[in-house]
Amino acid sequence: MQQSGGDIVCRLEHVDKVYEGAVPTPALLDINLQVQRGEFLVVLGASGSGKTTLLNIIGLLDTPTSGKVWIAERNAEQMDEEERAALRSRYMGFVFQFHYLLPEFTVLENALLPCKIAGKQVEEQNRELVKELLHRVGLGDRLNYRPSQLSGGQQQRVAIVRALANNPELVLADEPTGNLDSKNGFAVFEMMRFMNRQTGTAFVVVTHDERLAQEADRVVVLEDGRIVKDMLQRPAQTHEL
Amino acid sequence: MIDRFSLSVAIRHLLYYKGQTVLTMGVVAVSVTLIIFLGALIGGLQKRLISSVTGAIPHVVIRQPERQPVAVWDVASVPAGQVYLGERIKLQQQKLKIEDWQTWLQRLPSYSDNIRAVSPVVEGQAFLTRNEKRKAVSVVGMFPELHNGVVDIQSKLVRGRFFGLNGGEAVIGFKLADEFALRLGDKIRVLGPEGNAATYTVAGIFDTGFNLVDSSTIYITLRDAQSLFGVGSAVTSIGLKLRRIFEAEDLAQKIAQQVPYETNSWMKDNQQLLSGLRAQSQSSNLILVFTTIAAGFGIASIMITSVVTRLREIGILKAIGATNRQILQIFTLEGTLLAFLGAVAGAVQGIALSLALYRIRTTVSATGRTAEVFPFDLTPELVIRAVVIAVIVGLIASWYPAWRASRVNAIEVIRGV
Repeated sequence: MQQSGGDIVCRLEHVDKVYEGAVPTPALLDINLQVQRGEFLVVLGASGSGKTTLLNIIGLLDTPTSGKVWIAERNAEQMDEEERAALRSRYMGFVFQFHYLLPEFTVLENALLPCKIAGKQVEEQNRELVKELLHRVGLGDRLNYRPSQLSGGQQQRVAIVRALANNPELVLADEPTGNLDSKNGFAVFEMMRFMNRQTGTAFVVVTHDERLAQEADRVVVLEDGRIVKDMLQRPAQTHEL
Repeated sequence: MIDRFSLSVAIRHLLYYKGQTVLTMGVVAVSVTLIIFLGALIGGLQKRLISSVTGAIPHVVIRQPERQPVAVWDVASVPAGQVYLGERIKLQQQKLKIEDWQTWLQRLPSYSDNIRAVSPVVEGQAFLTRNEKRKAVSVVGMFPELHNGVVDIQSKLVRGRFFGLNGGEAVIGFKLADEFALRLGDKIRVLGPEGNAATYTVAGIFDTGFNLVDSSTIYITLRDAQSLFGVGSAVTSIGLKLRRIFEAEDLAQKIAQQVPYETNSWMKDNQQLLSGLRAQSQSSNLILVFTTIAAGFGIASIMITSVVTRLREIGILKAIGATNRQILQIFTLEGTLLAFLGAVAGAVQGIALSLALYRIRTTVSATGRTAEVFPFDLTPELVIRAVVIAVIVGLIASWYPAWRASRVNAIEVIRGV
């Protein structure tokens, strides 16, 4: 594309988001953001600062009121629902504040869900990778457990593996530690950092916990829908480099 | 195409929430049981009623049309002022008969595959006398092997024989035998309409369950009846028995165009019965339709609840890449599977219930003949139809909830704690 391409997993240009209603509420104002390959980016902000909206727009779950969104060097505006779903399934992974594992599936099956959605072939191809990832997050002996048999931290780790199951370029995490105590929360955050280094997947983690920001390659601070700070703490370390 | 992912989520969900699954299946199963039970019972009752009407008579009868007397002045072709007078002919000669019946006996079976039996008969009224007792009876001369296709005598014999009836022998019903204290080998005397008489030996006694046949019909050979009624080598009618009896009227009309005689079907003679049966079928269909609709609402309401309680799950599946189509399929598959499983359970119940009640029998005749109390007519078509209807209803009932699920906005349900 126009810019050097390959190393940019997502790009936002002059993105505005206004929630329509009796009183239109602006959530994002003129956001310009690029996420590099393998980068670990933390978006800091108080609640209501627009950070979840930002994440949803990057994740193609929401559309901007104006501005352009490029994902995998493709203009999000021109995608139909099927393409968005396909990109969410193959290019991105999601981690939410609550793990949202399906209770009727085992740990391994839950982690494999994005592959299952993509089809049998993908599921077979990625099965070993997912098992390996589960081993690395310390759940190798729990593959056939039900989510209800795991602790909150363990469940969130399954959710992280699920986000990585399709070998995505980008993982989007919305307050992934928000529902955990600080010890477990930090462990989960460390896990993501570890996965980022191991797999070279870019992470965009939204949080209001400033302690976590210290670990990031780059920190973006949102206030009232605007980026007020964009600090590069250290260059992105990708697996391949 | 059924999506593999959707199917596995649907099946897992049904297995995981067993209580809900069993409950919904129960709703469908009860409906299907009712459809099968009621359908089989009403079908059986109708069949019994129809067979009580048509069991002992041919479904289609071919006979010489009766000539109606016409007033001379009504005959338009007669020139005014001229009146032709004829001679009054004797009853014997007036007898309506079919001379070339042997030709038709050969040709008729090839007219339609619906024709199960063809029986030429000489039929007439006569008096049975023994000692001082007299009774008006119907005398039927026929070939036993052919006529058994019209009314089953052979298997309903209480004593003696029917097939291989010889000249000079008669087969009578058990009620007639009781009334005249007749036993095998006894002689009976029959007075024909012209005052001529014949004597026959009782060779068989039967119990068909048809009152008219058992109490006042005498079966003799065709030859004997021809001489008793003086019809020469002719017969008075040809009776047809059909496989699909409701096509009798159509077939009668078709045959009427091919034979130089008049045809009449049982349907024409029993129009009131038929309209009664039709009304009964309609009201039972109405019950079944409402039952099906109730089951459909049952599935729909449970599916709607299921969608509402699983909004988050739907959101997460969409966020991790499930398409609207896949979400739609999850819920339609669930609804359809529930309906199918419920229908199979219901079919088993319905069949078991019908068969259990079908086995209850009661004695219906002095000769010890028994009949079932509930005459179920349980056909594979009925069962298959009930299951197919249930599955279609399940699909339709889950469509709206599934559509709602597929339209769920992922961020709204994930954020909305």
